[in-house]
Parts: sequence; C-alpha cells; structure tokens
Amino acid sequence: MLHAIRRGLDGLYWVSGVIAALCLVAILFLIVVQMAARWTGEVFPGAPDYAGYAMAAASFLAFASALNRGAHIRVSVVLNAVNSKTRRWINIWCFGIGATIAWYFVFFARKFVFWSWKFGDISQGQDKTPLWIPQSLMLIGAVILAIALTDHLVSLIFKGDHRIKREIVDEHSG
Amino acid sequence: MGDLSIIILFVFVLFLLLGSGVWVGLALMGVAWVGMVLFTTRPVGDVMLTTIWSASSSWTLTALPLFIWMGEILYRTRLSEDMFKGLAPWLAGLPGGLVHTNIVGCTVFAAVSGSSAATLTTVGKMSIPELRKRDYPEPVIIGTLAGAATLGLMIPPSLTLIVYGVTINESISKLFFAGILPGLLLALMFMAFVAAMSKFSKKWNPKTEPAMTFMQRVANSRFLIPVIILIMVVIGSMYLGLATATEAAAIGVIGSLLLAASQGSLSWSTFIESLMGATRTSAMIALILAGAAFLSLSMGFTGLPSGLADLIAGMELSKFELLMALLVFYIVLGMFLDGISSVVLTMAVVEPMIRQAGIDLIWFGIFIVVVVEMAQITPPIGFNLFVLQGMTDHEMGFIARAAFPMFLIMVVMVFVLIAFPEIATWLPENIRKAPGATGG
Repeated sequence: MLHAIRRGLDGLYWVSGVIAALCLVAILFLIVVQMAARWTGEVFPGAPDYAGYAMAAASFLAFASALNRGAHIRVSVVLNAVNSKTRRWINIWCFGIGATIAWYFVFFARKFVFWSWKFGDISQGQDKTPLWIPQSLMLIGAVILAIALTDHLVSLIFKGDHRIKREIVDEHSG
Repeated sequence: MGDLSIIILFVFVLFLLLGSGVWVGLALMGVAWVGMVLFTTRPVGDVMLTTIWSASSSWTLTALPLFIWMGEILYRTRLSEDMFKGLAPWLAGLPGGLVHTNIVGCTVFAAVSGSSAATLTTVGKMSIPELRKRDYPEPVIIGTLAGAATLGLMIPPSLTLIVYGVTINESISKLFFAGILPGLLLALMFMAFVAAMSKFSKKWNPKTEPAMTFMQRVANSRFLIPVIILIMVVIGSMYLGLATATEAAAIGVIGSLLLAASQGSLSWSTFIESLMGATRTSAMIALILAGAAFLSLSMGFTGLPSGLADLIAGMELSKFELLMALLVFYIVLGMFLDGISSVVLTMAVVEPMIRQAGIDLIWFGIFIVVVVEMAQITPPIGFNLFVLQGMTDHEMGFIARAAFPMFLIMVVMVFVLIAFPEIATWLPENIRKAPGATGG
C-alpha cells in the first residue's frame, strides 16, 4: 500500500516536471513563430500572452521537481552549523511552514480559478483566452508543490529525513 | 510609517523565516502575508493570487528560461575543452601567460550563459588541470577563476539583470547593454592584476609554451569560432533592434542546439538533461520572483519603503554617501543570501530611495550586479567558493584568501563606476529601439 503511494507520488512529480519542460519548449516555439511572422510581415496575435501562460505553467509545474532535486534556494548558515538532531527539528519547521504556505496558496488559487471560470474572465490581450484555463495549470502546479512539501514533512517526521537529493552542478543559481 | 513595534515584528518574521532556512520564495510569501495582515484589512489571499498570477505569467519573464536553457546546452557540449585549447595559443605570449585563459574563457562563456556557477565549472573543468600541469601558482589559478566567473552575472545574458529588470520594470535589453562595457573593463582589470603578479611574484615560474605559427593558432581555435558567431548574433540582434531580449534568447537556444549538433555532442539524453536542468533552474527563480512580487506589494502597505526613503532624504546624504551605505549593506546581505534573492528582497525598499536620490536605475542595476558579484566570492555563503571547493578539494579558507585580491579589484570597479557612470549608461542610450512596445 505504502509502496504504491510512493510510486504514485514519484510518478506525479515526474509527470509534472515533464509537462513543465514541454511548456518551456512551447515558449521557444511561440517566440520563434512570432518572430518569423513579424519578419515576413504577418502578425501572430496573442503570442506574448500565450508565452506568458506557458511561463506560469512551466514554473508552477516544475516547483515540486525542483524541490525534490534541491534546486530551490534557502539560507543554510544555521542548518549547517547545528548538529543533526537540531537540524531535523529545524527542517521539520521549514517543511511545516513551507507546506502551510503552499496549501494556503492552493486554497485561494482554487477560489481564484473558480471565479475566473464562473465570471468567464477573458484575457485583456489579443488572445481572448478564457483565463481559467491557464490559471488552472498554476493551481495544479501549486497542489503538486504542496503535496511534495507535505510528503517530505511526513518522511522527516516518521523516517527521520527528507528525501531531497542535491547535485552541486545542477544548481546554476547565478 | 506605521507603528514602530509592528514594523519590528514584521522585520523579525522576515529574519526568522529566511534565517531558519525556509525556501526563499516561500519565506517571502509568508513575510508578505504577515505584512498584509498587520497593515491592511484587505482580503489577503485573493490579493496574493492576483499579484502572483500577473507576476508569473509575464511575457518579459520568458527571456529567463530561454537564456538558462541556452547556457545549459552549451555547458554540455565540448566547449570547455575547446575553450582552453583555442585560447591558450593566443594568450601564452602575454605577461601572466595561460592564467589569462581563465579570465578570457570566463568572459566568453559569460556571453552565452547568465550564471556564474555554470561559467566557473565550464572553464575550470579544463583550465585547472592544464594550469597545474604547467606549474602556475595555485592561489592565482583558483583566485582568478573565482573572480572571473562572476562575470557571468554581468556580461549579457545575465540572470541577475533579467530579474532586476523584471522587478523594477526596466528594459532588459538596455540593462544587458549597460553590462557589456563594465564587464569587459572588469575582465581587463583582472588581467592587469595577473600581469602584475607575474612580474612581482617570486613563485611565478611556469613552464613555457612551445611556439606556434599563426596558422597553427587559428587551427587550434577553429572550434571557438562558431561560439563567437553565436554570441555576435544574439547580442547583435538586440543591438540592432531586430529582436527583443526574449527573441534573442530564442535565437540563442536554436543556435546552440545547431552548434551542439554540428559538433556531434547533441544526443537525446543531453538534450533532455539540458531541458530539465533549465526547467528546474527557471522554476527556482520563478518561485523567488512570485514571492517577491507579493512581498513588494505588501511592503508598499507597510509604508516601510517610503518611510525609509523619506528618512534617507531627511538625512541629506550625498549620492556618494548613499551608494557607500548601500555598498556595505549589500556586501553584508550577500554573505547570507544569493544574488538574485538579495536583489528581489531589497528592491521594494531600495527603489524609492534610488529614485528620490536621482540615481539612474539602469546604472544602479550594474552597480548592484558588481556588488552581488562580490558576494559570490565572500565567505560564509559565496556560491563560487562552494563550487570551487567541490572541484579542487581545497579548504574554504584557502579559496577565499586566493579570491580576496579579486574582491578588492571589484571594490575598485565600484568606485570607477561611480566616478565614470558613462561606462554603463553610454551603450544602452545608443541602441536602436526594439520592435514592438512590449518592454522586453
């Protein structure tokens, strides 16, 4: 049972990461098409708006997989200075706060998307997209991030450690 | 400004969340939430969503993942081998010899990558073992690499400058062009330091290079030529106003894919790795930006930024004194926070101050980048120091000492920038207008 949940969650993070990557490819595609259109004297109305939606989707859907790979930046001075027992407690606090903020975001994001859909909010740009469609991708990404944070919190409490695997070279933080 | 005790509470929460290690983006959201609750009666959650949605779905932001991707693709090509082989024959004759490959290599890679950690690994992977083989003094090898890699933040494309531009709503192309001359000048200053070291240091007796004819040199660097062309195309398309920053980034991604394919280093797995790497890094920055957007809204309600701006104005500091105060402030902040986080965290407060003092915001972007660059090589949290530690197995103290002269050179650079602001402002004032009014 636990095994199945574990596999399901890891699959979820993986799939959301892959969709995020596809959104990035979509950004590239949209921008290239828009550029090509302009150079040939055509117009591609709404391309910047679509690229913006893809940007939001790419970011939110990748939050969880970035978290699992330790890509998100945190201040680690205190964490590195304390012994492992204290570190575990501080980590529980961090994941607890993180999960709370993420679930809070999810709660209001659900409401936000619901009202966009209910009122039929439409983009102000030339694309005229019903806004609930791109917004729900943000909501899904936020839900997966909240699940991931909770997941790590649970394994911190019951197994003693979170499951973030970090690669130094992976983190081109600037 | 509101009640002092409430302000203190707000600042305390900020330090508590950031200091205990809550992820920067989420910590900023938490702090912003506290600020909203303390200072307004608005529906906090709804305001948060509207703000974060519009910040996250902005078209200007799309330059970010694309430039990251471009760097990720080139990072996985054989560029790092070609870089050393191609540059060495040309630089061997200079006083200071092959150490210059560190600096010039970083400058070139900085022009395709926006991050200093990627610049450092790409150049260092090859140059550290090669320079050691030739008996160059170890501190000089390590120090110049740590220092020059920070050029990745300044020479376009620069992730820090994109983030700065998005935060204060300035044209990213303009910021990029503002970074070019100061970046090159800083590289020259590093090179002058190396040349001086080679004359005065007693430990400086590396093995000499075999002489090469002009044609041999060209043959050695033929692999670098495509990269140089790619840089010219990306930067040139922005300069001539043919493309916005985002479009130039798209050109860069396609160009680097073609380049990698022509070298035979583009396989399905490197393509996927570069794409996933770019997705994660851009998500990391996007989370910080989302948190920062909400925080700067919340900061506005606390009255802290305008209060501080009034306070500073009341003190009648000269521009120079204000900049010195900010210099010290950012160096201290940079000891604990990475560059991008310190920029987004402070801009809400610093921007009104800067505007009131009549300081040009494009120029200030370059100022802040130099200062943030310094933070990359100062302990305890200097990201370049960590990366170098992983690559060389030296102690942190040794690396930090080796990099210290570079830190001093950057301090000199700050004063040069203050004395001659035209170094940063001249080029952006002379670019052609980018197409469309998208502000990209």
